[in-house]
Amino acid sequence: MSSSTPGSPAISGVTRFKAELRKSIRRNAAEPEVNFLNITAMLDMMTIILVFLLKSLGESSASVPQNDDLRLPKSIVHSQPSEEGVVITVSKSQILVGDKKVLDLPGRESLAQTGVGAQEKRSGPNDVYIVKLGNALQAARKIDRRVREAKGQDASTSDAIIVADGSTPYRLLIEVLFTLGQNEFGKYHMMVMQGKEIPR
Amino acid sequence: MEQSPSLTAAQRAKIRRLVVPQELSPDDEGGELNIIPFLDIITNILIFVLATIAVTFTATIDTTPPASGGKGVRKDIQSMALNLTILIVNDGFSIKAAGGNVAPGCTGPGVGIAIPKISGQYDFESLNACASKLKSASPDFADENQFYVTANPGTDYQTIISVIDALRVDMRDKNKTLFTDVAFKVPL
Repeated sequence: MSSSTPGSPAISGVTRFKAELRKSIRRNAAEPEVNFLNITAMLDMMTIILVFLLKSLGESSASVPQNDDLRLPKSIVHSQPSEEGVVITVSKSQILVGDKKVLDLPGRESLAQTGVGAQEKRSGPNDVYIVKLGNALQAARKIDRRVREAKGQDASTSDAIIVADGSTPYRLLIEVLFTLGQNEFGKYHMMVMQGKEIPR
Repeated sequence: MEQSPSLTAAQRAKIRRLVVPQELSPDDEGGELNIIPFLDIITNILIFVLATIAVTFTATIDTTPPASGGKGVRKDIQSMALNLTILIVNDGFSIKAAGGNVAPGCTGPGVGIAIPKISGQYDFESLNACASKLKSASPDFADENQFYVTANPGTDYQTIISVIDALRVDMRDKNKTLFTDVAFKVPL
């Protein structure tokens, strides 16, 4: 049996094969590429922002949806809106205490003359106490009193946030304010939209 | 010179086979979840929410329960008080103060509409000037910040808010505060 010596054709063939293989591997070696971007941190951040925005907008009483039925009046006042109090919403068509509808309103002409109407008052058209609103406010006052007592705040009166449409007639406004006053609501925060000049 | 032997076909085939980049199986990819579609959705929702939010800055004007029957000064006001009352009527602003009804043009006591409408619009500048003039009429009025508003039943809420705004500070001297506390009167 003959042993192969260096430089023999068999050895040279294997060496050349290995050399060719190394060369081919080197030639075909691709640059290390990033197949995916790790965006998990960014995704976390965006999700948190989204949830925060939706939650803060939904819960804030300062965020009032503006539509044809309820458009806040504009004011040059630049103060922080008060967010503590029972929210009374007076739109063109209804009155709400919190989220609960209390009363449907008649047309503006009728509102300007007799307010919500004689049938909703205690004693006829000239009265300014709205019975249904008063009943709803009594319940709200009861809850608010307990909350104030639990918080250690002055529970002798409650605060109310008035969210009213800009076209609300003075007659209806006074009826709502008067009814609030009769139900131990001692301070009102009338919500307005900030503007730069006094609208005409 | 001795030529090195060329590779055989089998060797060349083996080289080709070995140098082909191998596809990673899903197990070898590190188990990364493809969250790009989810990210797209989140981004779109975020942009939509931001774009549709009506950026409205709100504020609140504080007041107290209205006095019934058009009477009543509910604060402990000294005897030398201005007791400014603005009555919003269809023709303009009627003003009442310590001396009685204010005459047209805010010239002194007298009957009539103190600040009539101009071209069918309420004149808030003149109302402001009149309030400033009345407040400056006596040093006793300097600390008085409360005024009263009453209006025709049909007067809209926006006009009432505008009157409150017009009486807040002197339009010619923004540092001069006029009347910041408002109280409503129930019209008779």
